[in-house]
Amino acid sequence: MNDQHRNDAGARHRRLPARATVVLATAALAATGLTAGVASASATRATRAVAHASHFLACEVTDTGGINDRSFNASAYLGLQLAAKKIPGLKYTYLSSTSTSDYTPNINALIAKKCGIIITVGFDMASATQTEAKAHPGQKFSIVDFTYAPALKNVLALHYETDQDGFLGGYLAAAMSKTGKVGTFGGQDIPTVTIYMDGFVAGVRYYDMLNHAHVVALGWNPAKKRAKGSFAGTGVFTNDFTNQGLGKTDATTLMAQGADVIFPVAGSVGLGAAAAVKQAGPGHYMEWVDTDGCVSAPQYCSLFLTSVTKGIAPSVEAAVVSAAAGKFKGGNYNGTLANNGVSLSPFHTFANKVPAKVKTELVKLKADIIAGKVSTDPNSYPAS
Amino acid sequence: MSLLEPEGVAGLPGSPDSRVVTAGRVRGMGAFLVAIAVLAALAFGVATPAGAHATFTLGAPPAVAVAPLEMSVRFVAVVCALVCAALGVLLVARRGARGSYLIFSLGVVAFVWSFLTWAARGTDLNFVQMLAATLISTTPLVYGSLSGIMCERSGVINIAIEGQFLAGAFLGAMIASVTGDLWLGVLAGAVAGAAFGWLLAFLSLRYGADQIIVGVVIVAFCTGLTNFLTAQVLTPYQATLNSPQTFSPIAIPLVDKIPVVGPVLFDQNVFVYLAAVLVVVVNVGLFRTRWGLRVRSVGEHPHAAETVGIHVLSVRYRNVVLGGLIAGIGGASFTIGSVGEFSSEMTAGLGYVALAAMIFGRWRPFGALGAALLFGFSVSLQSFLAVLNVGIPSPFLAMAPYVITVAVVSGLVGRVRPPAADGVPYRRE
Repeated sequence: MNDQHRNDAGARHRRLPARATVVLATAALAATGLTAGVASASATRATRAVAHASHFLACEVTDTGGINDRSFNASAYLGLQLAAKKIPGLKYTYLSSTSTSDYTPNINALIAKKCGIIITVGFDMASATQTEAKAHPGQKFSIVDFTYAPALKNVLALHYETDQDGFLGGYLAAAMSKTGKVGTFGGQDIPTVTIYMDGFVAGVRYYDMLNHAHVVALGWNPAKKRAKGSFAGTGVFTNDFTNQGLGKTDATTLMAQGADVIFPVAGSVGLGAAAAVKQAGPGHYMEWVDTDGCVSAPQYCSLFLTSVTKGIAPSVEAAVVSAAAGKFKGGNYNGTLANNGVSLSPFHTFANKVPAKVKTELVKLKADIIAGKVSTDPNSYPAS
Repeated sequence: MSLLEPEGVAGLPGSPDSRVVTAGRVRGMGAFLVAIAVLAALAFGVATPAGAHATFTLGAPPAVAVAPLEMSVRFVAVVCALVCAALGVLLVARRGARGSYLIFSLGVVAFVWSFLTWAARGTDLNFVQMLAATLISTTPLVYGSLSGIMCERSGVINIAIEGQFLAGAFLGAMIASVTGDLWLGVLAGAVAGAAFGWLLAFLSLRYGADQIIVGVVIVAFCTGLTNFLTAQVLTPYQATLNSPQTFSPIAIPLVDKIPVVGPVLFDQNVFVYLAAVLVVVVNVGLFRTRWGLRVRSVGEHPHAAETVGIHVLSVRYRNVVLGGLIAGIGGASFTIGSVGEFSSEMTAGLGYVALAAMIFGRWRPFGALGAALLFGFSVSLQSFLAVLNVGIPSPFLAMAPYVITVAVVSGLVGRVRPPAADGVPYRRE
């Protein structure tokens, strides 16, 4: 479970002795001894698990956000847990990446552990996963948030068209805004993040067009001219998936500039935004991302109009179950509103506050998007 | 900065001793002001349509209501450019270096004002909130740099601030969550920071270990330990162990009604007020009391201090533990003063930024405060510029604080001199 600590501690031990005095080496041992000891104990346990589990070990490499990000890393892990409930004897484990340089070593560590399938989480891990998948054609992989072109035989790439439910989220935000401004920000300027923001802005613009309103979406400005399938633009980004303080800063800024509904697309950094919205008091809301916020961050449930989710857990679960059953097939999976791969979560505490008219419109919009009648490209609509 | 000379309280934030400013540097600063004045005049003045206006919100309910300030972008650009250029010429022309940094700072402020007006053209900028956000981003850095000053003034390098932050943030959140008492959380954060301050002191003073290496090891240890405990303890028991309340802003009666200044300075949470008090206390303590004189003498020339009867190691022990304590309180501000939850590595390297603020502030509390404000402002500026959509790529904006650090440290501060015995283990002769 905690091999990342062992790796860290090991690396530091290797570097130290050359320069350290005897005393310092003792100090270093004392300092890292606790985590190293614990990690090696759990490593032994994991090895035993492999030896005795007659079946299958499912493994995950997290992105830098960590396993408890209430967002996509946690969702993927939930997928493993769900699979374990379905298949008795299935073991699962994970390795955390504390920086992007951990991806490849972590993947290799899991290959060495003879994982039946390795789930790599996040767009950022695409090239590391591809390289390792090509180097180990017998190893099954599944990557969250990516599509390979051409598809790889031993990788099931899970992609989610979150501009579709982001659109619904944007429409709802615009309908609920009293100030006429809503805001979004991202963790990083990468397609898996900006696709959400793009859909959100498109939804706001569509609301304006339909209702002759002038709600403005702050924080994301889609580029006017761009290639098909690109989600380029400029906007607000924390450039960080761990520092919640930056999320709080950005949300506070958006509210200072007039926004009363905030949609953070930044994993656990969004919790900082939730703290800011809570502090701002009544009349300020937000929409959570990736998972149902009322389940993953229940302490802020009263702030969430809804959550713009993608079905990472069920699709990871399906990938693990198929691999454990020997029915794994590589390729690309595409989550949409149509196959429930992406969806808007229930309104929870806002069930009675969202006007019935808006609810009806959202249901119709969903059908129209599935039917291809409504475009989720913000450039299809005039910006107000 | 000889020990025997009486030393005044550092003046303006960041303003160093005038004796170290060379004539060449003053002329360089003057030329720089003239250059940015030209840039402002061209980019924000000439290139902007004549009719473009920007509105700065100076206070909206529930804060004090002040009429928004509407300005013509081109007019502001021209005025600011003239002011900036005039100050630049003044720097080049006049004799003597006293006050150079003040003049330079005013010039830069004029430039920034015209830049902000340009950035907000055709829309509103909530200026008061921008300054308030600056103060919030500044606070942890102030604690960190004061911790560094406490240690280094006595001759011990504290590179472990990041680790003490993490320890304080972790324990502060946990204790506040379990007991439901925020002040106990602050106390727990202080204890956690002090404990790691003690570890640093113990290893580097008792055994004379390399302080940098011990510091790095402490950071690594704190990172590993808090990561481990977060995954094993906090996550499974999130609701009981990691859901503290947070300190709410407290408006100070009367002064919070002062336009602009009130909402910025006097409607903050206790961590901000405490940081301000600590800056003054540490400054007075270090430069106006017997204790401070002893600390500085130990940091400059421990052998001399020993010969007049000062117990060097006790002074250092005490200061390093106190420094850890301050950093621990700063750590608690990350959780119970801000987001109300501990998450792995949430301090995100700010302990090192605090160290840079200390150096940039020349090991003086007010200097460090000035440096921390500059970093805080760049964080807040980055956020507002991104929302205003000025078209500067977001990673570039995120880089801004560090670009400012490099520019300031290399071009403005010049050679900084740490306490003479900083980082040197003490052995009795």
